[in-house]
Amino acid sequence: MRIAARVAVIVAAAVAGAALWTHLPRSSAAEPYRAPRTAGDVPDLNGVWQALNTANYDIQAHTARPALAITPASPRTAIPGLARSTHVDLPAPSLRVLGAVGGVPAGAGVVEGNEIPYQPWALARKKENADNWLERDPEIKCFMPGVPRATYMPYPFQILQGSTKILMAYEFAGATRTIPLDPVGDSPSPTWMGWSRGRWEGETLVVEVTDFNEETWFDRAGNFHSDALHVVERYTRVGPDHLVYEATIEDPKVFTRPWKIRMPLYRRQEADVQILEYKCVEFVEQLMYGQLGVVDPSTGAINK
Amino acid sequence: MRTTLVMVLAAASLILATTRTSAHHAFAAEFDSSKPIKLRGTVVKMEWINPHTWIHLDVKTPKGTVERWMIEGGPPNALYRRGFTQKSLPQGSEIVVEGFRAKDGSLRGNGRDLTFADGRRLFVGSSGTGAPRDGRDASEK
Amino acid sequence: MPYRHVVAGLTLASVVTLLACRGLVSLDVASSTMPRTAWGDPDLQGVWRYEGAIPLERPRQLEGRASLTAQEVAEQERLEKEQAARRLEGLEGAAVGRRSVAESPIRGNEYNSFWQDHGRPRQISNRTSLIVDPPDGQLPFTPDAKKAEARSAARYGVGPFESYLDPDTGERCLTDGVTGMMWQGPNGGHNRIVQSPGFVTILHEEYRDRRVIPVDGRQHGIIRQWFGDAVGRWEGDTLVVDTTNFIDRTNYEWASIWTRPSESLQLVERFKRVDPATLEYTITVEDPTTFTRPWTAVIPISKLSDDTQIYEYACHEGNYAMSNLLSGGRTDAARTSSR
Repeated sequence: MRIAARVAVIVAAAVAGAALWTHLPRSSAAEPYRAPRTAGDVPDLNGVWQALNTANYDIQAHTARPALAITPASPRTAIPGLARSTHVDLPAPSLRVLGAVGGVPAGAGVVEGNEIPYQPWALARKKENADNWLERDPEIKCFMPGVPRATYMPYPFQILQGSTKILMAYEFAGATRTIPLDPVGDSPSPTWMGWSRGRWEGETLVVEVTDFNEETWFDRAGNFHSDALHVVERYTRVGPDHLVYEATIEDPKVFTRPWKIRMPLYRRQEADVQILEYKCVEFVEQLMYGQLGVVDPSTGAINK
Repeated sequence: MRTTLVMVLAAASLILATTRTSAHHAFAAEFDSSKPIKLRGTVVKMEWINPHTWIHLDVKTPKGTVERWMIEGGPPNALYRRGFTQKSLPQGSEIVVEGFRAKDGSLRGNGRDLTFADGRRLFVGSSGTGAPRDGRDASEK
Repeated sequence: MPYRHVVAGLTLASVVTLLACRGLVSLDVASSTMPRTAWGDPDLQGVWRYEGAIPLERPRQLEGRASLTAQEVAEQERLEKEQAARRLEGLEGAAVGRRSVAESPIRGNEYNSFWQDHGRPRQISNRTSLIVDPPDGQLPFTPDAKKAEARSAARYGVGPFESYLDPDTGERCLTDGVTGMMWQGPNGGHNRIVQSPGFVTILHEEYRDRRVIPVDGRQHGIIRQWFGDAVGRWEGDTLVVDTTNFIDRTNYEWASIWTRPSESLQLVERFKRVDPATLEYTITVEDPTTFTRPWTAVIPISKLSDDTQIYEYACHEGNYAMSNLLSGGRTDAARTSSR
């Protein structure tokens, strides 16, 4: 009796621990939640949804740090014999003025097992990406964010279920994905947001995405892929206001095996909520083209 | 006679009245028609950008060095609908480009005529009546 | 049958046909044959494109005439077929770009020829302008807007381009605006309509412009946007969309001034599926910043086959034209200053 009770406590703790680790809401009954149906008799995923995590900063677990680009402090020499033993990170000069607004918050990560199985060359490239974040992150230039990054950027997106097509309308850079449920041919070219094909598996919308170009990243930490990327997404409602989003990433040119991310998505609750515009192209033109013309519009000066 | 002329003119003006298309760049502002180029090179990469694709080409110079050129091609979304896709110009294809060089003299050009080394022609508006794959363009499968 | 009845019948029929040609009377799909979504709204879903050749404004030569005679229409159809076939022939290979504008069947526009899908014969109608109001079929520009349009036309493709602010919004990969979205664009412009409960979404291929229009009875919001704040409602089988709260972008260059948003721009659009293959699209544009009075255009838009795709539009992601224009501008400036 006592042993059984102890076992029951251990089992309950393990279950609770697992639930805590995966951060997923649980319905009170043990049965999976059955979502309301659309008129087409499939689960209703319509709505404005948003991720609430720091995955866009770094999909792996990470401590808070001063900025997205770091420079090490110079060695301390004033006190003889007292060399600084630990390294001090400072925000990169161009980001220093942002202060705490420019800091990176801590996050528990969304990668199952917290490991991204890079091939050795690719791990080195990821580090290089991180060290050169300011020059390389496509988000800075308002380029389309790719999949799955679009899902967990800090902006809402809207799922719009039509009869044969589901649209995913993202706020960032006005990116949109068309997910056909009917058969489509092949993608004529590699793309930023991939070529999607959707199907229902019970309660879950499964989307296979292929034909990516190699331009997008998974986050601001330099995690990247090649044009061989293949993503399988799973969207499942687990309650009136929650989706669980899973994505399996496969890329034989970059990783040694497939790996998974997982996170809840939250329904935005405001009445009459809408996705708004984030047409960031005009926000980045000065950065990208300011010095290329005869005149620099920010100063009126002639460019050399 | 005069009435017929007016009718024909009127009809013609309606037909030719395509609205000005935007984002369709200024040839004269980017390229120099007094600097024609003819290059033979190997396709390194294709960028499927709208409104004009960009082909990255490795071109061997007479000295034996290799220059990396960027050639502006047709609009991808219109090309797809004519059956021209990523399969049509794989990496390593050899093509000949005739066109005009960028105004600033850089290794960029606008592609006017693009042909495979075996003479098949690419890109330049030759797809019959505009319906895809009607057989008039030998480069279409 | 008495002759006068026949004449009356024929007259009535021709008047109705004429008005129908002008889009002022819709030949209704019977309510029972209208395809509907599962919740009962008319189903407008699919990919749509304007296939016609009617210009926005009535050409000068046709001043005072809202429609062509049957004979003129037949002549236009003949010309169109002939020219469609010739347009592509003339674009072959070596000739491209090396002949004068006068020799070119498309006025030297070969550089942009792919955009036009010139080989496709366009639908001919007896209408002489898409604009039905004002009755002269002309855009009622204010004097300042008229000057801006003339300046834009003179600068188009020519410059000067001193900085990234000088090319038009399309060159900058921003947008060409909402006003012409349903019928303009390269290749006629493709639009996909998707309906879900409470929303009608329009995805325009060029610039990947997107409008998610609520039809759930909400009021307008207060935030200003490039595409304004659109609210839709069904009036019978017609979708009526009211858009306000546009952001002011009159300080940017626009290829077509009549599409630019200002804070005083208001649009009212009507979408009506008048037969399985046709969406009758009516737009009324009101903007005292650009026009002296509201104007209305009616455009018959055609449904494309269900396997038509809308492809991704990556423009800013590789806007080499911008750097080329600007370096071309610097080269020109250097040449001028070195003389």
